[in-house]
Amino acid sequence: MQDERQSALSRRNFLRVFGGASTTAIAAATLAPTEAQAYDPGEEETRARYQETDHVKAFYRVNGYPKEK
Amino acid sequence: MARMKFLCDADRCIECNACVTACKNEHDVPWGINRRRVVTINDGKVGERSVSMACMHCTDAPCAAVCPVDCFYTTADAVVLHSKDLCIGCGYCFYACPFGAPQYPRVSNFGSRGKMDKCTFCAAGPEEDSTEAEYAKYGANRLAEGKLPLCAEMCSTKSLLAGDGEIIAAIYKERVMQRGYGSGAWGWQTAYRETVDV
Repeated sequence: MQDERQSALSRRNFLRVFGGASTTAIAAATLAPTEAQAYDPGEEETRARYQETDHVKAFYRVNGYPKEK
Repeated sequence: MARMKFLCDADRCIECNACVTACKNEHDVPWGINRRRVVTINDGKVGERSVSMACMHCTDAPCAAVCPVDCFYTTADAVVLHSKDLCIGCGYCFYACPFGAPQYPRVSNFGSRGKMDKCTFCAAGPEEDSTEAEYAKYGANRLAEGKLPLCAEMCSTKSLLAGDGEIIAAIYKERVMQRGYGSGAWGWQTAYRETVDV
């Protein structure tokens, strides 16, 4: 009877110790302070796409009043 | 450096919604999302006014200020864009935007909205220019093709202006001078009363 109880406690202790250790390890890994990784777009993403092409100039011209010649 | 801006001449807008339709068609925008909308006040009454609204590409964009994953960025020509790879669909930008520009493709019981979608000034997103991947996420990249946003280009009454802020402001100012009156939205005094010293 005593042996049975002893073995049951050991098993529980083992799970307690093992479970506690793994939880602590996971918490330490996830909660450890790491540097913030904000999105930093490169020069290619932020470069100006706008070009004053003939197409764009025509848009400006037709939206304004006709210029006197 | 040119700064990209939209300007809607409310005296010319006839609420045809062609800008809305053109935008949806050009970018294959899904059902339920309108990157551009026409807002009408005093509908059916004297003094009715319509204004075509979309993302105004703010200089100090509130959407970018509140984004918890910092997915917004401003290009060198002052267009506010965002990365759909980073967006978590939290909806904060929708609450922050004074123009109601951010839109979401889904509504579910558990609040998941999907990736935010908004007007890109026809400049798409961070993907490589004019690729299929870029089109699928953000739509056409007309700016890279040397064109302007389609909504403005096809406006039949020339109400919606888009492009270099200084040039379109000059075009609008010329119209105001020609008419002899503004649309009620011209000058600092409109927003800050007569007492403002500019």
